[in-house]
Amino acid sequence: MNVREDLSEAHRLAWEHIASPGSWWTAAQRIELANTAIGAIGDVEPLPPWASVSAVEGRLPADHLAPAIAHDATYRIARHAGTLTEDLYHKVSGELGPLPYVELVAIVSTVAAVTHFCRNIGSDLPPLPEPEPGDPTGEVPDEIVQPQYNWVPVKAPADTKAAVLQAYSAVPGESINTWRMSDAQYMPVAEMVDPNWTRRAGGLSRPQTELVASRIAQLRECFY
Amino acid sequence: MLSWSSTEQGDPADLAAVVAGTDRVGLPLGAELMRFASACAGTDDEELAAARAALTFTAGEALMVDAAAVAANFEMMTRLADGTGAAMPEVRKESSSAVIDAYGLTDLTSAR
Repeated sequence: MNVREDLSEAHRLAWEHIASPGSWWTAAQRIELANTAIGAIGDVEPLPPWASVSAVEGRLPADHLAPAIAHDATYRIARHAGTLTEDLYHKVSGELGPLPYVELVAIVSTVAAVTHFCRNIGSDLPPLPEPEPGDPTGEVPDEIVQPQYNWVPVKAPADTKAAVLQAYSAVPGESINTWRMSDAQYMPVAEMVDPNWTRRAGGLSRPQTELVASRIAQLRECFY
Repeated sequence: MLSWSSTEQGDPADLAAVVAGTDRVGLPLGAELMRFASACAGTDDEELAAARAALTFTAGEALMVDAAAVAANFEMMTRLADGTGAAMPEVRKESSSAVIDAYGLTDLTSAR
């Protein structure tokens, strides 16, 4: 299978990113959460949305490094994202902290992209790299605020751009990784205003691109 | 985005067909892309393999890979949006009301 160089590079960097210390989680914790997300996405008998993966014997490593509630949230977002509620967000972020929660969502969404891409083209998922050593960086923008259009805090100023664009802005490393992937998988943000944009001659037209996007969002029951 | 981009190109897609998952969406390769996208979001590996083969046969491997990447992107973006509680401003909901109605989105848990 021939995969565009920019796309395979974005996914290679995404896997490296997962295996590096984040702002709030160590690399080993990030790998652990990524594995829970991979397991949730591929689960042939998925748990229902209200079930906790940590409560099912043998589903998590016995000596897991991330808290059980982080794994529970990871499984829920990976498999049942359309069922998430603001109450659940407050419960989970109340225990983990809002910014570690944002980083967790970003780990899951990154894993979802790479995992589904490999399944979509019929390729095996590459193994995650070994975790890099080091502590979380604790990187925080100078000012973070509560926006109107996201549950999670964002970098100030809030609500000057679309909610999805500002969603990870309080955890800059995740924002960079996500939009690098989106550039390669979908289109560069700057091109989104162009209804005639296409990646290359003979490639998907913009309406064809949006047809695929719409169908996935519809089947995932995503209002946004 | 589908409604907007297809209208801008002068050939509006049939949103009802997209909602229903039928093969009459009114775009070139619409049937193949609809089948492939539906299979990407499903759990039937045999159907995904068949849909992948059909799209590749008709449009080539490079376009199939591009479609697979778009599908993967929206596996990422739906989790980003729902995980962070992303919501639309009221003014955008109003301007998108026809699309929201066509897709039957107001009853979703993720409608905020």
